Amino acid sequence: MPVAPRGSLDRRRFLTASAAGAALTAAALPGCAASVGSGSGAKGAKETLTIMDVAWPKKDKQNAERALGMNLEIVTYDITKLNAMLAGKNPPDVVRGVGATDVPYFAARGLMTDLDSYFARSDVLKPSDLAPANDVWRYDATSRKQGTGPRYGMAKDYSQDCMFWYRTDMFEAAGLELPSDTEPLSCDEWLDLGERLVKRRLGKVKVYGLSAGTVGGPLTTFSWMTASAGGSLFAADLATVDFSSPEALKALEWYLDYAKSDIGPSVVNPNPDGWDWPTYQANRMAMATDGYWFGGAIGGDAKVAEVSRFAPAPQLGGHRISPCFSGTGYWVPKGAKNKDAAWKYFEWYFGGKPAQDRATSGWGIPSLNSLRSKMPRDTAFHQQSYAVQQRELPYFSVLPVSPYAQVDALNAVLTKFLPDAVKSGTSAGKVADTLNSRINEQLARGKELVG
Amino acid sequence: MSTDQLAGPGARAPMRAADARPSSPRARHPRSLRARRAGAFYVFAGPWLLGFLALTVFPLGYALWLSFTNSDGLSPNARYVGLANYREVFTDPDTLASLARTGLFTAITVPLTIAAGLFLAVLLNQPIRARGVFRTMIYLPAVVPPVGAALTFKLIFDRDSGSANGLLDVFGANGLAWLQDPYARWVLITLTVWGCGNVMIISLAGLQDIPAELLDAARVDGASWWQSFTRITLPLLSPVLFFQLVTQIIATLQSFLPLLIAVDPTPKGVAAVPESNRLIMIDVFAQYFSNGRYGYASALLWVLFAFVMAVTFLVFKMSRGVVFYAVDPEQTQTKPRTIGDS
Repeated sequence: MPVAPRGSLDRRRFLTASAAGAALTAAALPGCAASVGSGSGAKGAKETLTIMDVAWPKKDKQNAERALGMNLEIVTYDITKLNAMLAGKNPPDVVRGVGATDVPYFAARGLMTDLDSYFARSDVLKPSDLAPANDVWRYDATSRKQGTGPRYGMAKDYSQDCMFWYRTDMFEAAGLELPSDTEPLSCDEWLDLGERLVKRRLGKVKVYGLSAGTVGGPLTTFSWMTASAGGSLFAADLATVDFSSPEALKALEWYLDYAKSDIGPSVVNPNPDGWDWPTYQANRMAMATDGYWFGGAIGGDAKVAEVSRFAPAPQLGGHRISPCFSGTGYWVPKGAKNKDAAWKYFEWYFGGKPAQDRATSGWGIPSLNSLRSKMPRDTAFHQQSYAVQQRELPYFSVLPVSPYAQVDALNAVLTKFLPDAVKSGTSAGKVADTLNSRINEQLARGKELVG
Repeated sequence: MSTDQLAGPGARAPMRAADARPSSPRARHPRSLRARRAGAFYVFAGPWLLGFLALTVFPLGYALWLSFTNSDGLSPNARYVGLANYREVFTDPDTLASLARTGLFTAITVPLTIAAGLFLAVLLNQPIRARGVFRTMIYLPAVVPPVGAALTFKLIFDRDSGSANGLLDVFGANGLAWLQDPYARWVLITLTVWGCGNVMIISLAGLQDIPAELLDAARVDGASWWQSFTRITLPLLSPVLFFQLVTQIIATLQSFLPLLIAVDPTPKGVAAVPESNRLIMIDVFAQYFSNGRYGYASALLWVLFAFVMAVTFLVFKMSRGVVFYAVDPEQTQTKPRTIGDS
């Protein structure tokens, strides 16, 4: 078979056509939109409620269907899918959400159902029985403020997310005094403890001294520390941030020092486990910044519970605050097709057996005041954490979150610029300027869209 | 079977209706036959066409429209912004940097992947024992889901609990933050090349398509293995390699999942991707789902589309004189050779 350049044979045609075809089809826009089911998986005559949530065990789903007398269609929670469903005017009936950070964004865009009339009619979920943390699910569209106005959802439970858990065995091994149950540490003391508790070998951290990250990412850490120093990260109209204020700068300096010291997960070296529990349980973390809910995990492991204690939220300045950055619960999209069925689910989930079971489990403070008496106090571990939590409640606060951008988007800016700043030793002032310009640019774009 | 073939053997050129002989079926019922054939074509192709229109053409058109707006997909106040998004794509330093990183990543990984696949294919084309087992082992990474592969690498290269640093530990060496800059890009390149099983399989098929008599003849003529490989194997394999080059470039320019080593495929996770691994698709995802900038992200995708097309066109242009195709004597001769010809 002779060989010649640019001859023509079926194989050539095939390969050329294949490559060209591949070029044309594969180069066509790679879609980002998720394929989304309609959620109309009706079985028999019973109505179907579509819930976007974390995966449910099959048994839980069957029990819920029996209790509610309806079919449940569980769509695994995925923000990209949720955005696609909302944009496509085909949302789920009920959506899991983080009240503190989701509500301003979605409510400002008119995507959430005002549930006030449902609460007013309910015999199970009475507004007078709602814990103050449920205010994270309120939003006033006129003043653009969270914490007032109609209720758009409800928390299943809540925590004060800047409190921390620590390992007594590690403190004792390091010859350190245990943190107080009543007086908060200063952030500098906290950092110093972390530096003393960290264990390294050949450049690897064997035991993290301190995991200082809060549940909502670095933005919420800065927001809390700035507030504790007496300032506010966001301007009054929530349309801009100011990292250059003395209070925010102090918070930024603290975080840069923390990340530089490499004593725990940070934007420079994120925790590969994604959350603190696996590392904490594996005896590789001395202090973990997680609210009361984390006690649910600790309480499930007797060995870890025996050496774990709870402590008040540290403070950067003189303003003692202990904020909630989550208030995870559910909301009903404005475009939901089965709102009454969604409310029926609310009453069962937030006020029925699931709520009672959650209250006794220690996975967070119950969302209804009437259930608070059910919080576990049967072991020394539970008694200590309960007492510390009770004393912390007066310092509860909800810090402002801007409706003009999703918290993930603002965290992305921090995650992008902070690692370089840590490695290059850039001054906090310079970092603050960069963060201000980048984040304010995003907020301005969002403001234009929200109006 | 084409209509020309129906017209009988030797009818190679397409026939026009006017050329048809009266006895041909086409002449007897030209319209009805064509209509029937067209009808059959549309009946069979219809479902695909509908799917193509609904799931490809419409989304593409919609994304094109979005790229001229400031839509975030949710807000009621989105408006037409003309070419502003496209202007921003070409002036935003972050986007330009991620485009440059994408180009560099493609320039490194595509040749490496093809070379690794070819090298393994040559090895596995030898008559060795347990060849099937080795082929399977090398092909396996190609069938591992990208997320699974990324998770595996995360477990290997984690700074504090990964086996790579565990190995260094054994030798008393300091562990490295493999999944952070400046090492993250090399882990990503390794992960990408590790998945060269597909390329290996295609190269192997190409190698087995090369007539053994050509290699035997070369050996008889005293050619070394290297000479046979460079003068016979590679030229005959060049169309296969070219095909791989084009498809690999397109796929690599659109890499997304492998970039998520050590992070979750969520907006929060994507934000944690190290700078050196922030390729264009990571930016696209972040713009869509973190920043809610549907308009800008759509513009980015259209620019990526144009970029992929341009690169592909360039590769096609450059392939002339480098890619060799076997010649079909029937198609290159103007008249049939007879015994009298010399």
